[in-house]
Amino acid sequence: MSELRKRGLTTAVICSDPFIKLGTTQAKVFGTPDLPLVKIPHPLGGLSLEQVEGRALVAVPQIVKLIEEHAK
Amino acid sequence: MSDLAELLKAKDASIDVDDDFDVINRLYMERGWSDGLPIIPPTSERVEKMLEYCDRPWHEPIAKMAPRYGEATPLRLAANAVMAGCEPRYFPLYMLAIEAMCEEPFNLYGVQATTHLCAPLVIVNGPVAQELAINSGHNAFGPGTHSNATIGRAIRLALVNIGGAIPTLGDMSTFGAPSKFSYLVAENEAQSPWEPLHVEREFPQEANTVTVVGAECPHNINDHESLSGEGILTTIAGTMAITGSNDIYYSAQPVIVMGPEHAKTVANDFSKADAKRFLQAHAQLPLGKFSKENIERRFRVTFKDRYANAGLDAPVYAVQNAADIIIAVIGGAGKHSAYIPTFGATKAVTRALKRKDGQLAKSVEDFRGR
Repeated sequence: MSELRKRGLTTAVICSDPFIKLGTTQAKVFGTPDLPLVKIPHPLGGLSLEQVEGRALVAVPQIVKLIEEHAK
Repeated sequence: MSDLAELLKAKDASIDVDDDFDVINRLYMERGWSDGLPIIPPTSERVEKMLEYCDRPWHEPIAKMAPRYGEATPLRLAANAVMAGCEPRYFPLYMLAIEAMCEEPFNLYGVQATTHLCAPLVIVNGPVAQELAINSGHNAFGPGTHSNATIGRAIRLALVNIGGAIPTLGDMSTFGAPSKFSYLVAENEAQSPWEPLHVEREFPQEANTVTVVGAECPHNINDHESLSGEGILTTIAGTMAITGSNDIYYSAQPVIVMGPEHAKTVANDFSKADAKRFLQAHAQLPLGKFSKENIERRFRVTFKDRYANAGLDAPVYAVQNAADIIIAVIGGAGKHSAYIPTFGATKAVTRALKRKDGQLAKSVEDFRGR
């Protein structure tokens, strides 16, 4: 994802809350400290389809915002 | 040989601290450079002595360690080896283990950062085990042996300080494991009725090797009654057939640590390859033993080619391929073996100790050129 970011594409990594620190650290490791992280609630395992849709509803506005900002 | 004084002039290569054991240990603990136990201060004198057993430039990385992808230079590795309490003659084997776990098939990123509780297990083969007095007998996985304890600890310190396996930042293990302090043993080749692990993995008998496995802690297998190979293997296979293992979902390579007494009984009736085939075929449980949700959401979807319409009596195998089972004879007297499941998304890697000229090193001293 960092490579795509470096090429100028709109990119993001979706992380559940406990993984935000790992995501932030890894973004720095790969030379893209500004790599956007889309934060969704934990957990991801054992979700019903409705709960998965709920996670998507949290993620989508963040992704739309990223795309809009990138287009400017 | 490199010039240590020159290398230590680099930015952040060294720190000046009062020559006080407690002060230094407090500092290392505060900065997250320790495993929680006291460390031996890595003074330049001690690090230089450690590097007497290094055959390459001290500042050139031998590998990059995930997830930080920190450069594992001999200098950095030596500092961690000193901290762990290693003797300098342990250094070549320690470097070899680091190189092995940084090979791509091992998937060090996954092993380090996963929520699973795995740690790199190092199994040593060859005469070097005796040379360095690495325990392969009673309590081989436990405390009490300097080389097992300190080489294993040096690996962990490197995984943290160079690889960045810091809880919540680079190590997301839900529980962690005691094996994350130190996890290094030798195979008990003298008590094994079969060819050693490294020979089976196509290395010459005289080679000195490390085999690294992204492994859980050992789970004991008690069988005091079976008098036949089939009996012992039936007990082992039964222990392997569990519902909560990662290995079920991958082409995994779990380890069967066979106690010498069990191995002797099994070898009366089975070659090592036959024993593996028996274990693969019998380490199975019916699909119905899994939870309804696991069946519906995982087996019927992810493994739909096998289980989309399978009945609840359909077999689920603990290991997919017989040849992938790693059998190592380790331990002392007693009618016990042990099962070591793995992270699953990892492959065991074996590497041999070689001299500068590319020939197999007969010993650590041969490696050093003496």
